[in-house]
Amino acid sequence: VLRMTQPSTVLSIFAVFLHTTLGESGCTSADGDGTLGDDEPDNFDIDCFSQLDIKDSFSSLTCNFTELPPYNTNYTLSLCTKEDNNYACSNMKKQEDAFFLQFNDILSNRDVCVYSEMKRRVCRSLVVTDIVKPEVPFAINITYEREANEYLIRYCTPHSRKKYLKDKLEHQVAYRQKEGTWKTIESPYLQIKLLGRNLESEASYEVKVRSQPNGDYFKGTWSEWSTSKSFRTAREHDSMESYSSVVMIILSILGFMVSIVMIALIIVFWENRIKPAVWPNLPDHKKTLEQLCKKPKNNFDISFNPESFGYVHIHKVDGLWAKAELENFLQPSTAPETSIPEKFRSGSDLKMIPVMADKTNLNPPVSFGGVWPAGALHRLLGTSQFAVTEGSCSSSTYEVCHGNRMPLHNDGFNLSSTLSLNPSVQTHPEPLNDNTISQMLPNSDMRSPNNEEAYVTMSNFYKIQ
Amino acid sequence: NPAFFRSTLPVLPLLLVLSPVNSSSCAMGNKTTEIRVKYENILSHDINELVNMSAENRDRCCKKKYENIKVFFCNDTEEIESLQSMACNMLRFFNKTRISRAFRWKAAFVSCETLQVLQCKCERPKKEK
Repeated sequence: VLRMTQPSTVLSIFAVFLHTTLGESGCTSADGDGTLGDDEPDNFDIDCFSQLDIKDSFSSLTCNFTELPPYNTNYTLSLCTKEDNNYACSNMKKQEDAFFLQFNDILSNRDVCVYSEMKRRVCRSLVVTDIVKPEVPFAINITYEREANEYLIRYCTPHSRKKYLKDKLEHQVAYRQKEGTWKTIESPYLQIKLLGRNLESEASYEVKVRSQPNGDYFKGTWSEWSTSKSFRTAREHDSMESYSSVVMIILSILGFMVSIVMIALIIVFWENRIKPAVWPNLPDHKKTLEQLCKKPKNNFDISFNPESFGYVHIHKVDGLWAKAELENFLQPSTAPETSIPEKFRSGSDLKMIPVMADKTNLNPPVSFGGVWPAGALHRLLGTSQFAVTEGSCSSSTYEVCHGNRMPLHNDGFNLSSTLSLNPSVQTHPEPLNDNTISQMLPNSDMRSPNNEEAYVTMSNFYKIQ
Repeated sequence: NPAFFRSTLPVLPLLLVLSPVNSSSCAMGNKTTEIRVKYENILSHDINELVNMSAENRDRCCKKKYENIKVFFCNDTEEIESLQSMACNMLRFFNKTRISRAFRWKAAFVSCETLQVLQCKCERPKKEK
């Protein structure tokens, strides 16, 4: 019995020791790094990246060797998962220089294992969500905003229609002038703006875009660059043209407002100011005449007092005085003619028969202002006229002229009807009658005998006005 | 016989050691933050797709012959266990041929992702292996 108890005790102790070292979850690697396999060091490096939700909820893993193993042998890569103490591995397909595999579980902890021809296996753990490489952006569109002088660059990404990386990417836009240095701008959005003042005018530029996870949960690397898109910047005076167009718009608006204000002013002041100035009203005759008949100024003396017309030679018309003059005219004649108008003799008779006019006929009509009518004048001076022609013309004419001191126009046989025979006009050296009046007011000015000044005409009233 | 007890006594600890570990189906520890992050970034999108697919088949309601299906309850303070139960029960639909293939695959996929997030496993019933 003692012999049986000793081996059982040893066995139990060994079992406990073994259970403790191995643990409950299954086998563990002796390497200590969580990988399976031998204790040989891994002398190669693998670079892997994952692409999420490529097609129908499947994701992909792509790996390639960065350092080839020293031995030129064929290797096999597989993606393994621990399941219930077992490793479930899926071999990756070799595509040219890389290994590719599609799967749909991105939550499980994965291991990538390398199998060599020598049946050695080296595994390395990886987290699929930490090596994400997004898909390439596409559809770059460049729009020039003339007013703002900005270039709007918009692009698309396939992940906008997918579920994991939507709105969880960061984009990088690179631009450069032709054959120049690349400049980059990062943005979480699907568009950026380039300021026109930071770009050269009339130059050709090139633009490209790439994406990477923003790092909140998904991590990874930049995607491949998109295809480049070229554009040409606008000319500098295009911006000036836009500026001038803005100025023109402002001026047109101001002009419109000014025209509105002018129209309003015209409407308001049409009746009171504009219309009377452009189309003045016709003067009212009544008003005009009233103006003419306005009271004269206070300093103007309107009176019919002869003393106030001192500057005017006022001669009272006296019929006797005129008759005496006529007799002086008719002295050389012997047979006076009684009525001149009654008899109209021939020219020869008139020569011989002096014309004797009556007093009444000799009275110069006052209404004519002392101017004898032409007919009477002809009758009166008919003989003297012939005497002038037949006799010594100059002497008789001279007498007549000097006797009466009248300007006598001897135009042949015609005498002007306007000839004034009114002795009242002329200054006579021999006052024949007391009635002869040639009044000269002491205080009045002596003016030259002028027929026009003897009368007050309407022009005086106009002057008064 | 004292010898008999001395010989059998070490076997008892050996049996205890060699007996299968009766571990819980879910991993231990408070991993609420990790679960929430994984749900927000990955699991929620797949659940939305599954909901949209079920909305397309809205007229196909549960029938009587599916009464043996456990009701999906979420017990307070037992969220993880409740979710585990839901996921495991939904996996049982995978073999139901009356349900469309695409829906079954999507339901199984969501169930597996849920269990992965919870770090749980389904308890295999005695009848099913």
